[in-house]
Amino acid sequence: MKLLAIKKYWHFWTMLARNELQTSFVNRYTNLLFLVGKLIRFGMGVLFLILIKNNTRMLGGYTSDQAIVFFLTYQFVDTIVQAIYRGAYNFGHQVRTGEFDLTLSQPINSLFRALLGKPDFNDVAFIIPTTVISVWLMANLNIEITFINFLIYLILLINSFIIATSLHILALSVGILTTEVDNLMWIYRDISRMGQFPVNIYGQPLKLALFFLIPIGFMYTVPAQVLLGTKPEYLLAIAFIISASFFTFSIVIWRWSLKRYSSVGS
Amino acid sequence: MNKYLRTVQLSWQEGLVYRTNLIMWRVRQILGSLMSLSLWTVLFSKNSQLFGYSQDQMITYVFIVALLQSVILATALHGISGYIYRGQLARELLKPIKLFTYFASLDLADKLKNLFFVLVESVFLYLIFQPVLSLPNPIFGLIFLIWVVAGTIINFLITLLFGAIGFWSPDAWGPKFLFFMIVDFTAGKLFPLDILPKIVQQLIYLTPFPYLSYAQTQLFLGKMSNAEILTGSLGLIFWIFILYMLTTRIWRRGTKNYEAIGN
Repeated sequence: MKLLAIKKYWHFWTMLARNELQTSFVNRYTNLLFLVGKLIRFGMGVLFLILIKNNTRMLGGYTSDQAIVFFLTYQFVDTIVQAIYRGAYNFGHQVRTGEFDLTLSQPINSLFRALLGKPDFNDVAFIIPTTVISVWLMANLNIEITFINFLIYLILLINSFIIATSLHILALSVGILTTEVDNLMWIYRDISRMGQFPVNIYGQPLKLALFFLIPIGFMYTVPAQVLLGTKPEYLLAIAFIISASFFTFSIVIWRWSLKRYSSVGS
Repeated sequence: MNKYLRTVQLSWQEGLVYRTNLIMWRVRQILGSLMSLSLWTVLFSKNSQLFGYSQDQMITYVFIVALLQSVILATALHGISGYIYRGQLARELLKPIKLFTYFASLDLADKLKNLFFVLVESVFLYLIFQPVLSLPNPIFGLIFLIWVVAGTIINFLITLLFGAIGFWSPDAWGPKFLFFMIVDFTAGKLFPLDILPKIVQQLIYLTPFPYLSYAQTQLFLGKMSNAEILTGSLGLIFWIFILYMLTTRIWRRGTKNYEAIGN
């Protein structure tokens, strides 16, 4: 029964993804410009870190080479999350216009549709060159990576993805209650951007908030610390407890807010 | 004149109607400054000089860039191309107003609002980081203000140029996004341009972008010689002239063929 449901959702998602891919080809020149813009931003981020590397040895207790790993980890997780959850940015519009009513009347989980209904192929295209560059950069950095650390790093990246999912669900829930989700998503992006650098560089209480209120510290800093073989800021178990708690909390809040949904557009 | 003042008033009030939007927008600006200030503070904890800047100069740079971002780069006219494409411009064309002055009034209200908030936020950030700010002498301060006004005019004209895409196409966001990404870098928003190799700096100075923040911050920090101030002033006049000619010509052509079907 469960396998059947997974098959149905997979079929549904691939259909949505195909539609999105076709849309991105319709606006191919606009999408190309977006892609170029994102590559410029990525290039500038790398350039900035290389300039820092050439001028100073340490950044918040890490060597300049290690600091680049924090940036690349942020870049990788953030791009995948954007590629998959781009639909969340459009959710406010759906609630305001009453379009979300149509989603609710379909025999498909409304959260699934809101979260995954609009994958961004521009970001998918962006992941390919940036991952190649990232791997090349990592290979040329003065860092030591062991197999076991790499394995834990991958597990922690999955954990980061769960935290990002929870934060997106919470933003969608706020969107149902207030119809304001667009700006909230951008605030999430800005806070997330703070994870480009090791979270230790921020003073208290901001640092604490970045670990336990909006846990980007567990999303970017801790995985990078593990990969580099340095002592993580907190026990790894806490990273998993945080992601499990955030995920459970976000689902509870989503269900609660869904009961309070009132269509404004219909 | 009165009608434009009234436009400024109405636009100011309209900006305050959507308070959640406004608060969230300002929170985003604070986060950006907070990240820059934290990063540079950490970098300077081990170095007294970096890229030719002292800590005080770099912190002042971050404060001034945040201020200039709210004055020069912030604009209420982001959606102007959609406004044109959807035919809504027809309403303004029928009114006894000068179009560019009307848009400038909308922009002015937005900038005043941003300036007010950025000053309040600066006090908040100042109390956290307690930096020693480097201030210019009165003459450089006066030139700085003139350059800020000139930079604002350049950004206004560039915004109208991008807006003009709406006369012919609905797809203005792609070019605009690319422009934002380029400006983030070339206007010195991410880091001062003089940390880049000389040849890259010279290439960037062939565009109007350094005049959208970077040149002003250098003047404020007293990092410019008299000859550079003169060259900078001529650069600002040159770009205002070129962009004005280009914008008026394109807008004339756009409005001449404007159909606004259905409005």
